[in-house]
Amino acid sequence: MLDWIKNISKEHPEFWKDYLSKFENKPDKFIVLSTETSGLNPDKDVILSLGAFAVIDDGIEIKDNFESLLLQYKFLKDNGLSNEFIIESKMAKMEEHDAIEAFIKYIGNAVLVGHHINFDIEMLNSALERLDCGRLKNEALDVDMMYRKLTDINDKQFSLDELCDIYKIPKSDHNSSSEEAYKIALLFLKLKSRLGIK
Amino acid sequence: MNTITEQIADFLKEYPPFNNLTFQELSDISNNIRVLNLEKHAVLFQNNDPLHDSFYVVASGVINLTKIADAEETIINKCHEGDIFGLRPFFAKNNYMMTAKAREESIIYAIPIAVFRPFVANNSDVLNFLLENFAVNSRHTKDNVSTGSKSTSDNDFYIDQQSDMQYLQSLTYNNSPLKTEAHHIIRDVAILMTDSMVDNIVICENDQPIGIVTNSDLSSKIATGRYPITATIDKIMSSPVVTVIENVSLAEAQLLMLKNNVTHLCVTKDGTAKSAIKGIISEHDLIVAQASNPGVLIKEIKRSQLPKDLKQIRDRLSDLIQNSIQKNIPISHISNIASEINLAIIKRAVELSILDLGSPPARFAWLSIGSQGRKEQLLLTDQDSILIFEDVTPEKYRDVKDYFLRLAKRTTAVLEKVGYELCPNGHMASNMLWCKSLTDWTKQYNSWMNTPGENSNDLSSIFFDYEIVFGEPKIEEAIENVIFKNATNNTLFFDFLGNDALRKNAPLSFFKKFILEEEGPHKTKFDIKTRALMPLIDAARLLILNSNIKGIQNTYLRFKQLAIADSKNAEIYLSCAEAFLTLSKFRTIEGLKNDDSGQYINIKDMSKTDKEKLKNALLPMKDLEELIKSKFQLTQFS
Repeated sequence: MLDWIKNISKEHPEFWKDYLSKFENKPDKFIVLSTETSGLNPDKDVILSLGAFAVIDDGIEIKDNFESLLLQYKFLKDNGLSNEFIIESKMAKMEEHDAIEAFIKYIGNAVLVGHHINFDIEMLNSALERLDCGRLKNEALDVDMMYRKLTDINDKQFSLDELCDIYKIPKSDHNSSSEEAYKIALLFLKLKSRLGIK
Repeated sequence: MNTITEQIADFLKEYPPFNNLTFQELSDISNNIRVLNLEKHAVLFQNNDPLHDSFYVVASGVINLTKIADAEETIINKCHEGDIFGLRPFFAKNNYMMTAKAREESIIYAIPIAVFRPFVANNSDVLNFLLENFAVNSRHTKDNVSTGSKSTSDNDFYIDQQSDMQYLQSLTYNNSPLKTEAHHIIRDVAILMTDSMVDNIVICENDQPIGIVTNSDLSSKIATGRYPITATIDKIMSSPVVTVIENVSLAEAQLLMLKNNVTHLCVTKDGTAKSAIKGIISEHDLIVAQASNPGVLIKEIKRSQLPKDLKQIRDRLSDLIQNSIQKNIPISHISNIASEINLAIIKRAVELSILDLGSPPARFAWLSIGSQGRKEQLLLTDQDSILIFEDVTPEKYRDVKDYFLRLAKRTTAVLEKVGYELCPNGHMASNMLWCKSLTDWTKQYNSWMNTPGENSNDLSSIFFDYEIVFGEPKIEEAIENVIFKNATNNTLFFDFLGNDALRKNAPLSFFKKFILEEEGPHKTKFDIKTRALMPLIDAARLLILNSNIKGIQNTYLRFKQLAIADSKNAEIYLSCAEAFLTLSKFRTIEGLKNDDSGQYINIKDMSKTDKEKLKNALLPMKDLEELIKSKFQLTQFS
């Protein structure tokens, strides 16, 4: 509903301006990401953790990664949820605004890749809105869509587990967002070479 | 630390050389890895490509390393999960000398050389591992591959094993090298070298090597007139000497020569120049050592003209087998290689006989039966064979049969000279009964299989394990078809085989004690052949015939195949497959020790753990027996 009018009057944070300026250049890498969320509603639910890897020239760069738990104390308290898993985890922890800011700096103008990535982007956009930023401008690729394009299947969607089975990528029991991002990255490499995407 | 970094480090720490590093070090390495995906047949790098800045670890899948020689692509090695390859950038500056190609879709980790180099420099175990791996993967093993491709079974490991085998071969070298001291005159030294007929001499001081003079020093420094022949020897010696420790392996020695660009290595007590000289390894020693690799043996077999040449080669095979067993190379690989060589020897024996007798008047097939037919002959056991020739017109029959009988007699005689004893039961092609036309053989199998028991004295189960050695493969196929056609729904025949398999005496008593021979020359010994191996062999044959699976003649592989075909009982079959290997190994070791067929094992001399191992290998037989009893109603003959 005429969101952009709302945004015109507002001053964006520095990091957002920086982010926008990066789009003057062409993207030079892919960022494969996965989010773990409290639910499926972008308006009400929040991101609990973020994991991402960069893919450059057909290889996953392990060093070029992003991994963080988001400390959603307020959300958890409001919904009466336990925060034990956050305390126990060894992963880096950040407040939502810090995490999102760091993540935006990390992705830059890269092409985003995910599994049902539109949902991840919606979740990120909601979080960005809370920080007075605009919507993500990155191009995005969805591995499910890529697979369906490759196999010419239009009438069904594939879960990440199903895709992993098809390409014999080992599944693990506990799925952190980093692990999911890594699996999506492997899938992406396989689909990328089959579809001949440069 | 990132979760994935940790997982990669966890993966790496299982494999050499990474198992020499701490978890923290591995995490640092993992953090710098690039993960690549290779589709089937994708090329990672190829011959003459500029070097990459990384080396590689296979995370999943299989990568073939190949070389192109004589316009033919040959596989040097196959890298499986956890194997490293592409090490050239560590040691050399020139372009890749091989091609790395995905045999199936593979995921590999690329580890930057710059990141890994410090760990190599600080850790000699890691360095040694890389050196060895580089040496093995660089060697061109064309001969081995061509023999490997003939074997139909587990090729995947075959080639790996061969290069392992080659690599592990120990070197024999001159351990009383010529020595002199620095103040001697060059001419005297040269005379000494000529008299002793060697091309090198070590210059030492207090029995420690300080330099070496070889023929090339003499030609480049004396013959050119740079030094007078009256100068002292230390003027022209090459110094320092490259020294190695005793028991150096072939690959290591080869690598050191390449690395230091020398032709001789000095063996010293502790591997440094500051200890006593033990010997000298020359390039020639390396060539000699290479000569007993399986590929070379087969080549030599093909060239040999006399039975005594073949005998010499068979003796070298025994050495090879013994070495490999000591080095713990899996018995299934050893028997694969051994049977290829045995096959080549028998084939050559037939060829030599044909050369003597002139070309055969009809097409024929020479089949090995029994253990050689099953490719399980590690020791020199007796020879079992049959000859089948194509049908000819009745008037020619006599002449043709006569020719083949003479051929068979000659061949078995040659083989006897090589060291394969004649079969005491006369199961040889030189026997009138076992050298006949295809029609006669078809009749023979028909009568054996349809009316077993009636003439059972000449039915032996070994006729159902066969492999073509020489001649027309179509004839073997024809016989195989006869057998499988007769086997279908032939309860009588399976009853007979089943009873035959179960008739063998149990290996363990009710109280799980070994049942030993009670009388005869082998009193108090354990008859591993009849009590343990034969029941497994018989059972495997019975079951494979019953499941109508063609073309698998090896007991180990038969059990493996059965586990796939009859997955309900897979566990029993797999444990039998393992048991069979363990038992064969015991038998082979015993046989090598006593230079016999290893049929009787002296239990008293065995260590406690070996006894336990042997006992455990006998346990699956009980399950197998029950399985056979429930599968076939063994009534007619029991």
